[in-house]
Amino acid sequence: MLEFLKLVNAHWRDVLYVLLAGSLVFMALLAAIGKVPVSYNVRNLVVRWKTTIMTALAFTSVVALMTVMMAFVNGLYSLTENSGQPGNVVVLSSGSNDEGFSNLAFDDVRNVERMPGIISDSEGDRMVSKEIFVVGNQQIPVAPGEKPRRRFVQIRGIENPQIAGKVHGLKLQPGGQWFSEAGVEQGQGDAGQNLIQAVMGNGLAAEMGRDLGTSPLAVGDTFSLADRTWKVTGLLDSGGSTFDSEIWAKRQITGEYFGKPASYSSLIVRAADDVAATALAETVKGAKETALNALTEKEYYSNMAETSRTFLYAIVIVALIMGVGGVFGVMNTMFAAISQRSKDIGVLRILGYQRGQILISFLLESLVLALAGGLLGCLLGLVADGWTARSIISGGGGGKFVVLKLVVSREILATGLLLSLFMGALGGFIPAVSAMRLRALESLR
Amino acid sequence: MLGHLAKFLVIIFKNVRRNLVRSTLTSLGTMVLVLVVTSVWSVLSFIDAQTSEKANDFKVLVTEKNKAPSRLPYAYSSSLREGAARNPGDVRPTDYMTWAFYGGTLDPTKMTRENFIFLIAGEAEKVPTMMDELDQLGPADKERLMAAVEKMKRQRNGCVIGPTQLKTMNKRVGDRIKISGLIFKGIDLEFEIVDTFPDAAQRYAQTSIMNIEYLLAALDEYKVKNKKPHPQGAAPIAFVVLRVNNRQEFERLAEQITASPLYTSPAVRCESQASAISSFLEAYKDIFWGMRWLLAPAVLVTLSLVIANAISISVRERRMEIAVLKVLGFRPGHVMMLVLGEALLIGAASGVFSAGAAYLLINKGAGGIPFPIAWFQRFFIPDQAPLWGLAVGAGTAFVGCIIPAWSARSVRVADVFSKIA
Repeated sequence: MLEFLKLVNAHWRDVLYVLLAGSLVFMALLAAIGKVPVSYNVRNLVVRWKTTIMTALAFTSVVALMTVMMAFVNGLYSLTENSGQPGNVVVLSSGSNDEGFSNLAFDDVRNVERMPGIISDSEGDRMVSKEIFVVGNQQIPVAPGEKPRRRFVQIRGIENPQIAGKVHGLKLQPGGQWFSEAGVEQGQGDAGQNLIQAVMGNGLAAEMGRDLGTSPLAVGDTFSLADRTWKVTGLLDSGGSTFDSEIWAKRQITGEYFGKPASYSSLIVRAADDVAATALAETVKGAKETALNALTEKEYYSNMAETSRTFLYAIVIVALIMGVGGVFGVMNTMFAAISQRSKDIGVLRILGYQRGQILISFLLESLVLALAGGLLGCLLGLVADGWTARSIISGGGGGKFVVLKLVVSREILATGLLLSLFMGALGGFIPAVSAMRLRALESLR
Repeated sequence: MLGHLAKFLVIIFKNVRRNLVRSTLTSLGTMVLVLVVTSVWSVLSFIDAQTSEKANDFKVLVTEKNKAPSRLPYAYSSSLREGAARNPGDVRPTDYMTWAFYGGTLDPTKMTRENFIFLIAGEAEKVPTMMDELDQLGPADKERLMAAVEKMKRQRNGCVIGPTQLKTMNKRVGDRIKISGLIFKGIDLEFEIVDTFPDAAQRYAQTSIMNIEYLLAALDEYKVKNKKPHPQGAAPIAFVVLRVNNRQEFERLAEQITASPLYTSPAVRCESQASAISSFLEAYKDIFWGMRWLLAPAVLVTLSLVIANAISISVRERRMEIAVLKVLGFRPGHVMMLVLGEALLIGAASGVFSAGAAYLLINKGAGGIPFPIAWFQRFFIPDQAPLWGLAVGAGTAFVGCIIPAWSARSVRVADVFSKIA
């Protein structure tokens, strides 16, 4: 049983499509083998159009809502899936599972940097990025009289942005450039200070632009953060990853400014491939001269998906409970349809239709209703595709503030349709059985 | 008048019982959907309460201005509890509490969730007055908490651990535990569990508290032993909570503190507790928006549709009977009242029952709604939930049945009998 469940889990996409296709084929087979008068049922749905619409809309609202909620979770999952680079290893201090709580001594980092198994880029530079990760408070502009608002902004202090970009597989969008070696430039900053140069993700640039009532921040724009003025020198081509919600600036400046001048948060190193990365992580963890935690970047971001799982469970529960409500609704409709058409059922029986055919007929009617409502729900849910939302992803303790895009995938639509058909089948079955059990002569009285 | 009303009620009850299958299905549909709305509103109302400013009994948070998580030197605490008052007439807080966080594992070789514990370190004597909701405990629970506080004051390594956390760790009151520090690395502390939080303090089921003096003493010991301060020893506290009487005092206090030369490295931020919580929850704003404006309304619409469907079917089936009632002297308004009454009875009764059952089952049976978001682990159905159930059930029933009831009102006797004829 456990093996079977594992197999299902591993191939859940295939299982989903097979279930949906199976349901549709089952409906077609019911119509064909049962030789039921489907046109009679469809005409009845049309004649009782008010009831049909109201029942279908109940399916629609459940499926549309489920689609939007699942799209949100899918967006979260996409972020964590797209953030890790194959072959990358994240090195943190011992006991830390999150960059935010990790403190690596310079000596520890030097030891790891020299380890074999770390590859070099085409120019011969070792693929090692030494970084700090800090969170700053940013005041959000509000209208006079409004409650003050602020947001937490994630800042990644980078020593060598070119190497960091390669290690993280990120490039700048055209027109941008990495911050300079100094990390600052002369300009009219707060209190006459120099401007801090920074590159940032598009998601955050859009958020900050929205606060100011303008378009997303662009190269050359400035913003205030932690009592300093920062200048955008480039925008990261980081769509779909957690880096889309980050600011990157010179490590020495951010470290000094955010209270982390003499340590790193993480060291990201690149191995030849995933197998080599796993081996490298084990080597780092086992090194006697240092006490470090190391894991592949894929694993690191996969651990961050706990928030997604929490939301997923909540959504499944809500969708199921709503589905139960919908089942009661469709049962009501189908019972009413049967009681209104008991004479029709009697006529059908006298015409030679078997009990099984009557059952199939009413079950199909319910399924058609569910399919129509479900399809409309999927269409409505599709509107949410591409919406942006803010959230936190976390693996328990710490976490990252992210701007994500809702993703309505084919799997979500298939799940919505399946849920709708399931509701239709469950809600239609008992009334259909009661229709089947009607005696021809009694029903004609 | 009362007699007429009683007759109406009798007819309404009889109508509900006439088609028991339909009434039951409508009622069950209402119950499950009210359950969803009640749960969603419970989460939202708790968040709203946390982020709403109070007119009086104002709590103020002093945190590090530019960085999160906030880290402040302990020296800040002693002057902040006086509100950085320098001149006569300056505002002084009526109460205070220093907060630090100590987290660690019971077994450093097996860092599982069950072995992890997170403690709030503060002045023990401030726990009953400065921690939300603990000041509202009943006399017996308060006495028990005060006794635990006294123990923590006498015995610095005493700690109070929430019942759920105790269960997770498989420990009991009286047990001793050794924690290997993860937030403060190298600071391993041994505790004695002096008590657990009373059941009435539901939100503290997974919370643990310790005496801050124990943590500070351990940091001092580290310095002596290692001949250098602990890396976090210079800024071990997270924030200081102050209490003032009202908003005006808060504004003056905030000005005193932010203008004080005592708090420049690092600079501090002084904001109301509601505002601080609101800022932290800013990242969840879209989720709450979705729950408030998509999820709850969609459930209400679905519920209205379920009820509308059931009632309109009933009206359609009873056209003949409605015509007879009209012949017998029932006015259109009476007919409408009968239909509305039937729907409202089912909706309101199911709503109250569902929300009431949710209150009992979720709060008492399941120990809250497990929906870990921000630092809130579980949410509880509030006392007023049955009233929500009543309002949701009756409201959606009313919306759902208004059109069917209107169509029942408009049934023409001649039309109905002409079809029969």
